[in-house]
Amino acid sequence: MKIQEAIAVINQIQADGIIERYATGGAVAATFYLEPVATIDLEIFVLFKANPNSLIINPQPLYDYLIERGCTMEGEYVMIAGWPVQFLPPTGALVEEALEKAINLDIEGVPMQVFSAEHLASIALQTGRAKDKARLLQFIEEGALDVEQFQSILIRHQLEEPWQRFEQQFLQG
Amino acid sequence: MLFDLEKVIKSKQRFRRELAARPIAEKLDMLDKLRERSLTLRAKTVPAKVLLPNISSRRGK
Repeated sequence: MKIQEAIAVINQIQADGIIERYATGGAVAATFYLEPVATIDLEIFVLFKANPNSLIINPQPLYDYLIERGCTMEGEYVMIAGWPVQFLPPTGALVEEALEKAINLDIEGVPMQVFSAEHLASIALQTGRAKDKARLLQFIEEGALDVEQFQSILIRHQLEEPWQRFEQQFLQG
Repeated sequence: MLFDLEKVIKSKQRFRRELAARPIAEKLDMLDKLRERSLTLRAKTVPAKVLLPNISSRRGK
């Protein structure tokens, strides 16, 4: 069970042209900026290759590719190197932007694309579950955000109101 | 024994920062180990549904 092996497989999917672009999100991506927190899965946001004959995104070629290489399906996950990996298309403008502006990193020779800290924090604010709020708070308390960049994302994606509510609830008093 | 809560919080914060500052390869190794540990704990834990009575059905009573 090794996350770096899973990342190497995902890089190969991209190199073989099955997907156009990917970036890691969720708790694994947050690990790049914060202390590691236990997580059961690896969230990979994916830009699928456009099919000129269809407007519908079809993830089947990706699953076929992985199954041919010995990966197994478990519900909505594909098991890669012992890690359940969830492939997700961008769910809105914010995630699309996060994917477009993902950071390229190198982990002991293995390249990896990861959402920026500011995009992860904005997505956490937008998603708004208890664990997302906890993560956002961690980003703030650890000083892991570029405040100007974070604010510009909040404005671009109309997140000022949720941010004000978050500030009132957790950062004031 | 006296507990200085402020001291405890500051020490925890320092430890979290120290963990966050470690090399990424080391942090990814930690994720692997944390996941293995979570799976072990999960396998040995009684599901919450068994432990907790169904609150919504009790409300209806």
